Amino acid sequence: MKPALDPAKLLMNAYVALILAFLILPILIILPMAFSDTDYLTFPPQGFTLHWFGDYFGNSRWMKATGFSLKIAALTAVITAAIATAATYALVRGAGRLGALFQGFLIMPIVVPHIALAVALYLFFQRTGLANTVAGYVMAHSVIAMPFAVFTIAAAMSAVDPTLEDAAMSCGASRFSAFRLVTLPLILPNVLSGGLFAFILSFDEPVITFFLAGIRQKTLPRMMFDNIEQSLTPTIPAIAVLLTAMAVLVLVAAGLLRRVEARRRS
Amino acid sequence: MIAEAASPARTSDSATGARVSIRGLGKSYGSVTAVTDVSMDIESGEFVALLGPSGSGKTTVLMMLAGFELPTGGEILIDGRDCTRLPPQKRDIGMVFQHYSLFPHMNVRDNVAFPLKMRGIGAAERRRRADAALEVVRLGGYGDRSPKQLSGGQQQRVALARAIVYEPKLLLMDEPLSALDKNLREEMQLEIKRLHSELGITIVFVTHDQGEALTMADRVAVLRDGKIQQLSPSRELYERPANLFAASFVGEMNLIPGQWDGATITLASGDSLVPPPQAFPQPVAPGAALLAFRPERLALAPAGTPGALPATVREVVYAGADTLIIAAMPDGTEIRARVPSAGSRDIAGGTAIALVCPPDAMLVYAGGAA
Repeated sequence: MKPALDPAKLLMNAYVALILAFLILPILIILPMAFSDTDYLTFPPQGFTLHWFGDYFGNSRWMKATGFSLKIAALTAVITAAIATAATYALVRGAGRLGALFQGFLIMPIVVPHIALAVALYLFFQRTGLANTVAGYVMAHSVIAMPFAVFTIAAAMSAVDPTLEDAAMSCGASRFSAFRLVTLPLILPNVLSGGLFAFILSFDEPVITFFLAGIRQKTLPRMMFDNIEQSLTPTIPAIAVLLTAMAVLVLVAAGLLRRVEARRRS
Repeated sequence: MIAEAASPARTSDSATGARVSIRGLGKSYGSVTAVTDVSMDIESGEFVALLGPSGSGKTTVLMMLAGFELPTGGEILIDGRDCTRLPPQKRDIGMVFQHYSLFPHMNVRDNVAFPLKMRGIGAAERRRRADAALEVVRLGGYGDRSPKQLSGGQQQRVALARAIVYEPKLLLMDEPLSALDKNLREEMQLEIKRLHSELGITIVFVTHDQGEALTMADRVAVLRDGKIQQLSPSRELYERPANLFAASFVGEMNLIPGQWDGATITLASGDSLVPPPQAFPQPVAPGAALLAFRPERLALAPAGTPGALPATVREVVYAGADTLIIAAMPDGTEIRARVPSAGSRDIAGGTAIALVCPPDAMLVYAGGAA
């Protein structure tokens, strides 16, 4: 029998619970404000209305920004997943002595403050004409999302036996076919979940967007900044509700994909 | 040292197996040499085992045959075609891997049909031929299962079916049975032998298990430190090992130190024996030598039998069909005899015995200690 209560363990659990509460409380407070029947933000919300959701969906500027963000996020997801898969393949299968260096470069976007990255990209994009273009956003967001996607995919790739590709090649497959027909299907759930992470990171990425955004084309987070500066209406929490819902959906989807992947391997 | 003796080529349908010619093959990784000057000619339909301890280079030779390793010297000809630098997918070789390497996301039939798919064969034909290959390995009706649902032995049969489904002329096997337990391993050995004679395919088989090599192969190449020590038919390898390494690596062998004077060998115990001329796989100069003989070639005799080696029994190890008798010669040198259990009932530790070594069982190698 275990001792009934270990005080150290109890303390630890309480500490963890506090941290979780600290992290989630702001979200729990902001979300109900979206339904408040007032023109300003208030907590606890007064009355109940879906007016602010209607305000968001009915406003062409919000919709245009959302469409723009969705387009960037979708492209970022596809490009990140593709590049991360290739990079992970090199990292797991063939990097050799340069592996550590290569991995360092891949992690860099996490370590470097986003604000520094944003300034650097801004200066670079200004000169190359990429500022405020879809290509510019997609490149910038792919850089930020890359490490997350690489780690997600590497977890699956390192569990795939490299001799499976040898076996495929001995069966007559080219190296690329061996990858496409054997390794890729086995890591696909993680590639998709890496892409989903890239999508969500891009979709609500505020810092780089802030630097790169122009007047005419704005991403959703940039529009939200503008709105917060000018008139803070409950439209913002309404959008926050939608973004949170989307993030939760993506996390659940990624979790399910990982379970699929684990089941395939076992 | 390479025995260039003509190999006993298969009589059955010699047109279906590839002829393999390996010439001066070498492989080094930087300053480390894995394989040195390996040459052998493998006849169409022959079954050759590459036998050696780990690190002997046997797997490296196989991987160069398969195309997964690029030789740093020498050449590989398959049916006269230079394949030395050809990528694996262009060699039309069947390969069975140590850990089966079945594709976990495909069912058994799709695994077996994969090589056909790579060769652009239509779905209906693929299915027919995959199912036929599964019948050959006695797994008919397992096509819809997932590889995960099969036992290790069944998975290796699937891997075998996948390797033979497109009727390659050469089949390579990399320790394919080492992951199986003993009974299954013996069953699969016979299964692979049966397939070999049915298909007439040339097989190169890597193993570290000498019993497996002797059981399965027409010829065995013994490798050590990247070099071929002996390449000869199984019987010759066992009965007349070309050198001391082959003698001590394959099977049990008594190695008794003695002095060779050109006519007789005198052991430390004082016993003198006259080995026949065929006891010398290599010439031995007068001086320190080793008398070698298999434990099962010794016969028990009553103590004092003239011409027999006197010894005192130390230990008796009963092993079913036969019994191992570990005895000491008068000078303390250990000598082992494996005799039929039926005739060794009254032998016990401490008994004085004599061991008869028939002349045709004797082998003499140069050198001091084994």
